[in-house]
Amino acid sequence: MRAAIIIARRILRQRLRDRSAIVFAVLTPLFLALAFAAIIPDFTPTFHTTILVVDQDGGRVAGLFRDDVLAQLTETGIADIQPATDVAAATADVDADRAGVAIVIPAGLTSAVTTGRPAEMRIIAGGNVTAREVARAVVTRFASDIGTVQLAVQTIAASGGQADQATVEAAAQAVHGASPITVGDIAAEKRQASMATFYGAAMAIMFVFFAAQYGTLSLLGERRDGTLSRLIAAPIPPAAIILGGSLAGMTLGIVAMSTMVVATTLLVHASWGPPALVAILILAAVFAVTGISTLISTLTKTIEQASGLSAIVAICLAAIGGVFIPLSQSPEILGRIATITPHAWFLRAIDTLAGPDPALVEILPSVVVLVAMGLVTGAIGLARARRAVVPA
Amino acid sequence: MAIAPPPSPSRRDPVVHDLPSTSLPTPPAPTTGQEPVPSTTGTAVLRCSGLRKRFGERQAVDGVGFSIAPGETYGLLGPNGAGKTTTISIVCGILRRDEGEVVVAGRPMDPGATALKAEIGYVPQDLAIYPDLSARENLSFFGRLYGLSGATLRTRVDEVLQVVDLTDRAKDRTATYSGGMKRRLNIAIGLLHQPSLLVLDEPTVGVDPQSRNAILTSVEALSAAGMGILYTTHYMEEAERLCDRVGIMDEGKIIAEGRRRELVALIGELDRVRLVASGDLAAAAAAARAIPGVREASNRDGEIDLLVEEARSLLPRLLETVTGDGVTIRSVEVIEPDLESVFLHLTGKALRD
Repeated sequence: MRAAIIIARRILRQRLRDRSAIVFAVLTPLFLALAFAAIIPDFTPTFHTTILVVDQDGGRVAGLFRDDVLAQLTETGIADIQPATDVAAATADVDADRAGVAIVIPAGLTSAVTTGRPAEMRIIAGGNVTAREVARAVVTRFASDIGTVQLAVQTIAASGGQADQATVEAAAQAVHGASPITVGDIAAEKRQASMATFYGAAMAIMFVFFAAQYGTLSLLGERRDGTLSRLIAAPIPPAAIILGGSLAGMTLGIVAMSTMVVATTLLVHASWGPPALVAILILAAVFAVTGISTLISTLTKTIEQASGLSAIVAICLAAIGGVFIPLSQSPEILGRIATITPHAWFLRAIDTLAGPDPALVEILPSVVVLVAMGLVTGAIGLARARRAVVPA
Repeated sequence: MAIAPPPSPSRRDPVVHDLPSTSLPTPPAPTTGQEPVPSTTGTAVLRCSGLRKRFGERQAVDGVGFSIAPGETYGLLGPNGAGKTTTISIVCGILRRDEGEVVVAGRPMDPGATALKAEIGYVPQDLAIYPDLSARENLSFFGRLYGLSGATLRTRVDEVLQVVDLTDRAKDRTATYSGGMKRRLNIAIGLLHQPSLLVLDEPTVGVDPQSRNAILTSVEALSAAGMGILYTTHYMEEAERLCDRVGIMDEGKIIAEGRRRELVALIGELDRVRLVASGDLAAAAAAARAIPGVREASNRDGEIDLLVEEARSLLPRLLETVTGDGVTIRSVEVIEPDLESVFLHLTGKALRD
């Protein structure tokens, strides 16, 4: 290990000397953070809106929606729920941006539910797209649950029975209690990093490939410069030569990511989460990237080839992993494919850290997968690289 | 870098040479076999035998064996592709041998013998330095890999910088060095940890004459200090100047081995002595012809031309005999058959083919 550290120190000194470490580990993250500051105008870290409720029904089902479902939005800090006297007043408030959105509970909703008749809840939306989507999600989920209640009522009726008020209430509560999501799903939606944090993290995980390669590709550089034979002739284990490069790559990757975290936090108010958990996540991500980069370096003969391949892999994995378009907005199949990339696991953990009081156990799956990726790819890479340094 | 006065550049020079002083043991008889010649004093710093290495269809090294005593400089002389670099790569643990044995400082050398590698100072043929680091940084890096640290490392770095005359440029990036300076640093790295055996693989390739002479002078000084040296070259002049014994390699085999004189004797060529003189040259030539070891003596145009078995040892008696007949000698030229001639004789091709 001592020899690996000596080699890593020498590589880092060289990378500082030729300024590649400064460019890729410090200046690039800083530039990206500044670019975000310029092109993303609103970095409000937490979404919040006002939802007006026009209750034209006043029945038990309307009360359930208003006092139970919508109230949870208030509890989680997403929205303030305020009553509106009528549709016109609500529309005026939304148009004037005094509220983000309004939900109209139609008259006869409770009656419709108990008799199995259709009913329509309406959303009055203005320019606040996020508020509209939140309202739409809540209403859609509620409508789905109501549909289940109606189905229960219709089943009772079809079997010759009659759905009295108690039956409806029991069915409604059962649906509400049994549903795995309902408003709870909205709370999960909130576990999404802000735009600044997302793009900061996305760019960090993508560019860490470029920073790490300056260490992991060093073996090819040793071969090109003729120093490899001298290292092999030295009284050190051959593995130390490879490990030294990987250690240097990891160091550069950690510096690059840390710079990105600090820069986006200071410049664009990105909210990465608890520093200790972010540090653990960064270590795991850089470990994974170093492993992949080590493997890439063994698939080519020259530094030029390796740099090109590394760039292609970095961009492709980034595209698949949801760096450019969040996976939440991508087709489901892409979300599944993305799990092969460190990017997806890293960004998933970043989203998790955006929630209230995140714990280590919540990002542990991502950390474990990232470390496993690093171990597997790194082990294959080291095994392949050993052929270059172990005498044949 | 002038550690010792440089000897004459070539034994073809028209001057009378003294025999080089040496404390080396009596040389073994020349051989043309492939078995190692055992060192006659103590433990050999290197002994290898029966080395074989094949790359695909090509037998790069084929039964090579030799040994090197402390303070001895052994030269592997041969054209490019003869197997010299492959041989020393095996010796240094850079390549795994197919067959044979390598013993360094009394211990068997294998690629996995990590600690034993510290006994060897390896100077590869290609420059093996980091151009974006200074000489001091390069030396410190490799010194640490060889286990040096702290004050010991700093002292050794200063010493070898002085040996290779790079102290003044120690802090400059080596990318700014001349080719000769880089070569000298390349050698300095091999010396840093004071190895028992220094392996130099064609260290003067592409070097200007001044730096080349400085490098050769350094090697001579190291040998005099007791270091065993394995020196590969395809420059006959370097082998003749530096090496106590020479192994002539061709097509993966050592085809002859011994001291220069012994190798020359193998092919039966004689030394030529040419005296520019005045007086009764015919009588002087006849007198010289009577000296044992003088095969032929003739005179014409103010010169006496002699073919002798060993000019160096005969020269004092020869001069005494010639001048005893009232002849005045104005110059003496000794022309000895060189290793180029030996190589040509043994292989039928020139050394630099």
